[in-house]
Formats: sequence, C-alpha cells, structure tokens
Amino acid sequence: MPDSHPDTPTPDDAQYERFVQRFAHYEPDLRRFIRSLLPTSTDADEVLQQTAIVIWRKFDQYDPDTDFIKWACVIARFEALAYRRKMARDRLVFNEDILNLMADEGAEEIPARQAEHDALESCLNEMPDKQRRLLTLAYTPGVKVNELAKEAGASAASFYMRLSRLRRGLAKCIESKTLQTGGAS
Amino acid sequence: MKKPRFENLPDEEQTWIDAYVDGTITAEEFDRLQDRMRESPVLRAVMRRYLAIDDALRIDHGDIQTATNPWLDAEESPANIVPLSRKPKTALFIPIAAAAALAFLLGLAAMYWQGLDSSGETSQLTRSETEEPCAHGFAVIGQLYDAAWPDSSNPRREGDTLGAESFHLTSGTAEIQFFSGATMTVQGPAEINLKSAWEAECLAGSVRMQVPPAARGFRLNAPSTEIIDLGTEFGLEVKNGASHVEVFDGEIAVRHQKEEERLVKKGDAWKLPAEGIAAPAESGAISFPDTSQLGSQADSQRRLSWERWQAHRDALAHDERLIAYYTFDSDHNQTDGLVPDQSLPRNSELDGAVVLAEPVDGRWPGVQSALEFRRPGSRVRVNIPGEYPAFTFMCWVRIDSLDRWYNALFMGDGYETGEPHWQIRDDGKLMLSVMVDDSRPNPYSPNDAGFHRVYFSPPMWDISMSGQWMHLTSVFDPANRAVSHYVNGNLIDRQEIEDDYFIDKLRIGNGEIGNWGLPFREEPTFAIRNLNGRMDEIAIFKAALQEDEIAELYQRSRADRR
Repeated sequence: MPDSHPDTPTPDDAQYERFVQRFAHYEPDLRRFIRSLLPTSTDADEVLQQTAIVIWRKFDQYDPDTDFIKWACVIARFEALAYRRKMARDRLVFNEDILNLMADEGAEEIPARQAEHDALESCLNEMPDKQRRLLTLAYTPGVKVNELAKEAGASAASFYMRLSRLRRGLAKCIESKTLQTGGAS
Repeated sequence: MKKPRFENLPDEEQTWIDAYVDGTITAEEFDRLQDRMRESPVLRAVMRRYLAIDDALRIDHGDIQTATNPWLDAEESPANIVPLSRKPKTALFIPIAAAAALAFLLGLAAMYWQGLDSSGETSQLTRSETEEPCAHGFAVIGQLYDAAWPDSSNPRREGDTLGAESFHLTSGTAEIQFFSGATMTVQGPAEINLKSAWEAECLAGSVRMQVPPAARGFRLNAPSTEIIDLGTEFGLEVKNGASHVEVFDGEIAVRHQKEEERLVKKGDAWKLPAEGIAAPAESGAISFPDTSQLGSQADSQRRLSWERWQAHRDALAHDERLIAYYTFDSDHNQTDGLVPDQSLPRNSELDGAVVLAEPVDGRWPGVQSALEFRRPGSRVRVNIPGEYPAFTFMCWVRIDSLDRWYNALFMGDGYETGEPHWQIRDDGKLMLSVMVDDSRPNPYSPNDAGFHRVYFSPPMWDISMSGQWMHLTSVFDPANRAVSHYVNGNLIDRQEIEDDYFIDKLRIGNGEIGNWGLPFREEPTFAIRNLNGRMDEIAIFKAALQEDEIAELYQRSRADRR
C-alpha cells in the first residue's frame, strides 16, 4: 500500500486481520445502530462504509481491553453527525439533539437488537406464506411500492397500509418474544 | 412507565413511524414526530427497534429467493458470520437480470395481494420540503410617538419588522426605516403600502422621506404620481387623492399622470391634483412631520414611561414572594461588576457578578440599560441559597438570534435535585425543567443526567422577531401540578406535572443568568449556551404567580405603555 494517506497504519498484516475480524463480527450491530440515526438504509450504507474507514485509520488507538462496539458506536455517531450536516436541506433528517439521544440510548441496546434479530427469523417463519412473501417482495432491492401496487391493481396508499400492517405484526411478534422476560421498567 | 412496545404507542405515533420508514412522512408530521421523540424515551426505543426490523428486511430478506422459495435454512443466519462490506445479496444479480427479474417480481405482486383484505385507508404520499429559515420583511419600525393603530388590541411596536403590507396609522407619528437606508416619517392618519426596501406608495397621510446616497433611487408613489428620489429629503402629503410635494434638500424626479418627468429642486413645492395639470405651489404652506421633533418627543415619552415603571418596580421589590430581582441599570454594573438584588429587605449576599456581559441600551433606549450576553463567555453569576415550594421566572429579553441548541435564560449550575434550567431551544421553544432526582438514572439514557422532564412551550420566537423586546414568564407550580409558559403576559402553554416527575423542594444555589456555568458534556455545540441578545431585568419568585398577575406585570412594565 503506498503511503498516500498519512493516517493509514503501515500494512501490518496481523493488525489488519484483527481489525477485519472485529469489524466483521460487529458489522451487523454497528449497521443497526447507524440505521436508527438516519432516514434510510441507503444513508446507513454510506455512513457504515465511512465508519469502517475511520475505524481502520484509528484502529491503533483502540484499546483491545475495552468494548469494541462501544468505541465503534462513538465513531459511527460522529460520522452520522457529519453525514447529517452534508445532507440536502430538504431531507427529513433528525435534529442533532435527537440524533444524539438515539445514539446514547442505541449504544446501550446492542444485545437487545441481537436478540430481536434472532427473533425476526422465527417470527417471519410463523407468518402466513402469502403475507410473508408480499412483505419480502416489497423489500426486494429495485422494487418500487407504487409499481407493485399497480401490478396488484391496488392504490399505492392501500399498499403502504398493508405493508405497515405486516411490519407491525412482525414487530409485535418480535416484542412478545424478546420483552416478556425482562420485566423491568 | 409503559413497556416500549409498538402497540402501546398512541395511534398517531404509530402512523408517523410507518410514514418515516416508508419515506412518506410530511415535513409537518416529521416535526411533530421529533417533538414527541424528544419527550418520550418509549417512542425512541420503539423507533430504534422498528428501524432495525425494517433494515433487516431490506438487507437480509428482500430477495428473489425468498420471494419464490420458503427461505432460511438455519445456516444462513447472518448474525455472526458476515463478510466485510457486505452488500444486499441481490445487489449482485439485479443488474444482470434486472429487467426480467423485476418484471417477474412485479407479476407476483398481484398474486400475493389477492386474498388479503384491502384497506380503504389512505396514507400521506407527499413529502414536502422543509424551508430554509429566512427573515421576512425589508423595513423596521423606528421611533414612535403617540402612535395609535386601527386595531388597538394589536399595536405595533418599535423594532417590529415590516414586509409587503399596508401600514395604517390612525394618529401620532411613526418612523419606518427601510433596509435600503431610506427613512420615512409618517404622520397619522395615514395609509402606506409598503412594497420593498426600495418602494412604497402613500395613499393618504403626510410623510417626510430622508434618502441617503446609498438609497438613491427610492421610489415613492402617490395616486397619479410617481416620485423617484435622487438623494434628498422631501415631504409628501396625500389628501383625497390629491398630492402636494416639497423638497427640503437635494432633488427628486416627479412624473405626474402622463406629463413629462420633471425635476423638483430644493425649496420647490408642487401641487399634484388627482385630475388636471401639476402646478407650482408655495413652499412652507404645509407642515410635514418633523424628524428632530419626533426624536425629542419620543425621548421624553420614553422617559415618562420609564419613570412610571420605576415607581411600580419599587413597589414590586417589596413583594414577599420575590427570591431575587435583578435590573441591569448601568449605574450599578459599570462600577464594580456587581448587579444588586433589588428585592427587599436588601441582602447583598444575593448580588450577582457580571462576567463579560456588556451594558447596552435597554428597552427604553437612551434612558435605561440592559446587559448583552453576545460573547460566548458572558454571564451573570449568582448564589441563591434556600429551599422553595415553587418557582416563577420572569424577564424582559431581546433575542437577536438563537445561535445555540439551547440558549440560557437562567440556569442552576450543577443541575442537581431541585435545581432549575430555564432556556430557549434553537427552534424558539421556551423550556423549563427542574431536576427531579439526580441520583436516579434515566432508565433509557444512562449517559444522560438524572431523572427529570423538560416542559417545552410551542415555538414562540422566530428570526422575524429578532431585536424585539419580549416579556417571558415560566411557572413551576408543584401545588397545582402545573408548568406554564407566558409570552408578553399571555399564557401559551400549560402542562401537568405527572406523579413520577413531582418535586416540591426546589433550590438554586449557584446559578447563572444568560449562560450555563457547568455543562457536563464535552461537545461544544452542547455546552455553549450564552444568549445572543440582551436582558434588562429578571425576577425569580418562590411562588407560582397567577395568570392575571403576570398579565398585569407585563402591561405595567411595557416600554410602549402610555
């Protein structure tokens, strides 16, 4: 690797491996964390990528005795804030104070998100076939809801309504699987 | 507190979350969603979970395989083994077979849609744009003397911004300062159409225009006449459609009806009838509003009004409910950097110390002064011991802009149990909070300060109000379980203090006016809270003042009271 970037660590294979291992392990957690701060999954894609770069650049500063995901969440939050400032004014993006609240709280919920993600699989399996397929169809990249609606002979509004019901059903199932044991609050 | 479950949220919050996820939320709904999110940890928790579900569907499950085959072998679980920079699975082959695959998928839609009961409900599909904030208007009201307005319940004030509008003055004198630099002094009764910083139309009344070189070209129209100012001072009177113009200095270009444009020079006067030909007139025949006189008249009126308030505030100082009362008159704070507490009996322990804040004109300019907190370090530090059953905070403030996320009015230093924070958020909402229990963590935000709630008013300030003096009051009333906010004596918001957030042992200790002494977060955007503006008095009461009392105090302390 040429030393075009002064911040980039020298190509230390062992260090790079440690980075890849950790990052790969926590990537889904980090992604869910970032997603809760920004309007769309596409925004989350971009910020996740940028976060990966910054984490690699700063990886020398990471203390391996501390929680990697907490450290990564701090970096991700600042990348999300930076991204937010660059975003077009007409995008409906959270105010900084809310973004910070979501980040503060979200960083504490990493294990909860993992449990929910596990529950998602079984909840989807419990869904009636047709409903599940409609839901996943709507989430297929490249598919637009208004085109789907047109093909189905329905209005976009009613299609969105249907989608939200399916999604709410899924959320309810996940909540009942993950919240029932933790009686606090 | 309720469990953070989606179905426990109010219906509107559920709808907003779905619209946000689908990208169909309107700007207005989004604002309300954010307001609610600020207040509700439950909503935020549900939101995070729901967004994660949406994201998982999008990146793990929305693909052709799952659309056609029952999915998910156990090995496929993506939780732990994930390649670096993973992309959605379909991203690889959508471009290759895009057209065919999409057509195929769309065809499936009808199949899956049928047999599901359709719903007639509609959702918002539009996404309106949020506006960039900007100041409306192109002129401000300067000095007023004896001014009376058609709508006496809604009088205009010195410093009010004016835009394209009709300006009616029933009687008295008003000065309008255009942003072009031109100044118009109007004598009522008058009716002026304001068009831009460079143009106005006088339909009735008597005006004097002063146009400096920078505003040369200012256009003043009268019925049947157009006047272009060529850098000068002139008077115009319009009565029953007929005009009379007189030039005091410089020259103007006048086009009357369809006549040739003529130059009118210093000392000349012309009659410009509604019908018929323009004719020279005797100069000095009509008296136009006198600017220098307006200045001294307005000045003496201010002095009178100020003296009236001084007499009244001497009485207020005896109010036993006062904890402290600071007025920022220059004769106090310039000498030793101290602002004495005016409440009686006198207790010099409560005197405040001025740090960096600078003396400037108060709401009676030239007569009395205020403190400006424009520099980031500016503040007045106080130490107020004791325990109190309630709080009323009341001040006169002139906000130039809300530069910070949070803009301090009065803040307890440490934000310990029982201590207040009174401030304004950057969206113009007045905020009052009291720390309920600093040892009890907020269950949803362990990094945040202790257990408390912020009571927000609706937005009460925007940039068009920059530079106007306003009277703000917020009341924390545990006995009646209520928090109220007032602007210029009017109640604008009242909220209940819920059981969880009840506290009636209130304290202050060390605190600050116009800034926050001990922020506990490192981010500068969060920590710097100086108020970009000025304050000329602030009173803190240990009781909940009532609506009528607050309205009366406002009326008595107004600078434009007559």
